[in-house]
Amino acid sequence: MNPLCKPWEHAASRRQFLGASAGTLAFGALGGMISPQAAEAMRKKEKQVLFVWLDGGMSQLESWDPKPNTEFGGPFRSIKTTVPGTHFSELMPQSAKQAHRLCVVRSICTKDNAHSSGVARIQRGDPKNRGVPYPFFGSAIAKLMGPTSSKLPPYVWVKPGSGGFKTEDAGFLGPKYGSLAFGDGKPPEDLLRHASLTADEDAERNELRELLNRRYAAQRRPTYTEASSFVFDTAQELMKRANIFDTSKLAAKELDRYGRTEIGQHMLVARNMLEAGVRFVKVGSYGWDTHGDNFNGSASLVPKFDRAFAAIVEDLAATGLLEHTLVIAMSEFGRTPRINGHVGRDHWPEAWSIAMAGCGLKAGAVVGATNDKGTFVKDPGYDIGAVFHTWFQALGIDTKKVEYDNNGQPLPLAHDDMQSIKEALV
Amino acid sequence: MQSSRPTALLTRCLLLAAAVAGATAMAAEPLHRRVDQLIAGKASVAKQPLAPPADDAEFLRRAWLDFSGGIPDAGETRKFIADQSPDKRAKVIEQRMAAPRFAEQIAEAFHIQLMERNGDNDEWRRYLTESFRANKPWDQMAREILGPDFKDEKLRGAGFFITRRLEKVGQQDTDYPGATRDAGRLFMGVDLQCCQCHKHLTVKDYKQVDFNGLFVAFQNTKLQEPAGDYRTKWLQEGLMTNKYEFVSVLSSVKGATGPRVPLGTEVEIPAYSKEEMWTVPPEPKTRKAGVPKFSPLRELAARVASPENPLFARNIANRIWWQLMGRGLVEPLDLNHSDNPPSHPELLDLLAKELTEHKFDLQWLIRELALTQTYQRSSLLPAGAKNPPEELFTVAKERPVAAEQLARAFLAATGEQERVAGGKGWEGIEGKKHTQKDFEKAFLTAFANAAKEPELSVNPTLRAALFLRNNDLALWSLQKRKGNLMDRVAALTDAAQIADELYHAILSRPPVAEEKTELAKYLTKHSANREKALGHYAWAMLSSMEFFTNH
Repeated sequence: MNPLCKPWEHAASRRQFLGASAGTLAFGALGGMISPQAAEAMRKKEKQVLFVWLDGGMSQLESWDPKPNTEFGGPFRSIKTTVPGTHFSELMPQSAKQAHRLCVVRSICTKDNAHSSGVARIQRGDPKNRGVPYPFFGSAIAKLMGPTSSKLPPYVWVKPGSGGFKTEDAGFLGPKYGSLAFGDGKPPEDLLRHASLTADEDAERNELRELLNRRYAAQRRPTYTEASSFVFDTAQELMKRANIFDTSKLAAKELDRYGRTEIGQHMLVARNMLEAGVRFVKVGSYGWDTHGDNFNGSASLVPKFDRAFAAIVEDLAATGLLEHTLVIAMSEFGRTPRINGHVGRDHWPEAWSIAMAGCGLKAGAVVGATNDKGTFVKDPGYDIGAVFHTWFQALGIDTKKVEYDNNGQPLPLAHDDMQSIKEALV
Repeated sequence: MQSSRPTALLTRCLLLAAAVAGATAMAAEPLHRRVDQLIAGKASVAKQPLAPPADDAEFLRRAWLDFSGGIPDAGETRKFIADQSPDKRAKVIEQRMAAPRFAEQIAEAFHIQLMERNGDNDEWRRYLTESFRANKPWDQMAREILGPDFKDEKLRGAGFFITRRLEKVGQQDTDYPGATRDAGRLFMGVDLQCCQCHKHLTVKDYKQVDFNGLFVAFQNTKLQEPAGDYRTKWLQEGLMTNKYEFVSVLSSVKGATGPRVPLGTEVEIPAYSKEEMWTVPPEPKTRKAGVPKFSPLRELAARVASPENPLFARNIANRIWWQLMGRGLVEPLDLNHSDNPPSHPELLDLLAKELTEHKFDLQWLIRELALTQTYQRSSLLPAGAKNPPEELFTVAKERPVAAEQLARAFLAATGEQERVAGGKGWEGIEGKKHTQKDFEKAFLTAFANAAKEPELSVNPTLRAALFLRNNDLALWSLQKRKGNLMDRVAALTDAAQIADELYHAILSRPPVAEEKTELAKYLTKHSANREKALGHYAWAMLSSMEFFTNH
């Protein structure tokens, strides 16, 4: 650690200030200033993940890797960030203030330029073909790390559209490792305690059920009854925390900070979930496929993301959660430097960026670079397989030692021929 | 380890000698006795005690779930327990199998097993139900499913097994490999998926040619929409004149095959002249495709579902065993091969042989297995048995209750079956009418596995737990309504009587003394709010593992 005080630390926001003082005064002592859940999660220091998925492809040139005043640079300027020498697009003023916490890889070079195959391919880490569908990153973590001691479901997905139990992400791991999806940020059906029941009644009948189960299991093999207790306990934990999943209860001030937008609201729900101890939270945002009118589109989309993303990074840092939370923001590919006839940008897997922060990663780092026009990566660049190795590594999972067991078939966690991005890791 | 080996060997020799000596005597014995002898023999070698027979109530509930797809009502249970006749269990099996529900229940079980929650279809269900009602031999059914006749009104429903699997999903390619895999898994107990691209890496019996021999027949078809004589989606077969060529991605070794029974023989592609090729020649002018004389699908169906194909009989014998015992003799069910022997090799040989000799009469096999002590054993671990290996079948294994069965059992237990049945429906939330179908749909959503996920064992899920805890439909059944369970118990004053009614109605058994005392105490505590408290008690029973499993 560099003991020298960094200039950007002086530009502390209100939230940071409160967070810092809460730290010195011990958690909980300040009441409403820091949530008890966050304090609890911080004490336990269990590793967590926030995965922000921008479906359709965010333009790297209008975000993490601007090339102003070049052939393909587009109309937007670049702005200074809290890291000297690092510039982001002017559409990301808030994230620019968090740059010292971020780790941006600008030399991502992947293989697929179609949405239909690319979305799954990227989120599965594009390993060598073993004839079985690999799990998405969230399902992989649900399997490898399981729920935290909070007992909450390990993989939760906050998304626009429908919610429920989504099993398709789990691949060969099996539906158990799918996600619990909060459609439009709302809890899935049957999550909230039934209107006809008080909390006490609910608890009492649940104890009765456990009592009957104990008697039933006393002379039987315990496996199934244990599994039943486990899912009823998880249901209980979820129901107990129903307030944090209730978007109608989000504080107005916080909503303003995150932005009164879909992604802003969902990111705030995600923060609450991380504070409550959910192992892996995925936030999904749609509509990033700007084939036409890319610049007006980006001018509308990017600031919404920027505000929400910067706010959550700032909050996670303030509560100390960022130390053990891996934060990722990405799409299935970047967008073409060449501007098409509809003033849009098309799909471009050849050279794009992924932004990360937190757990195990170098803060304030920019890894890799594209050429002056932003058309291709300098050096070989990194494929998604290398990125997966990096994430596992950051979470303390050694991809050289740990492997999946698919009914006796040993399978590597990530692409066999790739390695983690050393420059990104602490 | 070293010292125990000679003893084990000796025991095996003795058993073998006993088996040879008893062979002639055994032949006259009914199958169910011979099954029990083989199970008992192996258990005694392993020094594992056999669980005693299930008590009457546990047996009756099991038989009802297996052969009628629901639970017995309180009267049925009381009558059975009171019955003193020594052959009452055999009689119940006979009655349940003779009832019209039996064919529907077996059809439902086969539907779940064959479709694996990947779609449903009325004609398909009708085909299965009518076939089981007529006790159609399994080899005939398998031929009708694998080599469908889409023009025959009575048989076309069978084609759904393949047509559903070949439907396009999104932008994915037609899933010919998936249909190939499932045909191998479900009809021969061999999962050849890995052999699409190379020989199996861990199973030496499974070769690339085995997958591709089955694959060619599926890949040679095209899914067509209903039109003209075809009332359902149907498969148009193409002309096959050459073998299919494939290359191993691992060794680059090339191979070629015509239609071929996995781990069996290849069908020769006939060398027809141009005139001989067609049953109905194509019409180039109208672009109407012809019907080739050689149908790889039907040729394969005939050879797969045949007494000549040993894996066919072994697979169905193993699956029926799994259905009734909760675990296959070969596990996993779809990994039959020489390095994965059955837990009881002689037993699977015996079942396969006898079933073949009985011309694949599944009712006969089901009846014989239901009559075994193995099927009728208690699910309680015998005293002194610590974690007995499942594959010894010394204790009845808890089995999953399908979502459809749970829905029926739930409605029967709460006394709401009649109110929702018959399309009458009940006045539900926001004045909407709800029917039994709505109930079944809700239970399927809550309890059935995701599509293509086999339902092989008891599987409690978060989704199901939340449903039971908070769902309107689930909790609706526990409100007092004229004639339902809550109404009946509300009319009773004596706690012992209430316990008796609740336990019989929901768990299909009388309560034990401890349970009666417990309920009496609970009711005293909640005397001010008795009706609601009773609802909670019933909820706890309906959400318990004892209700959730077939034990």
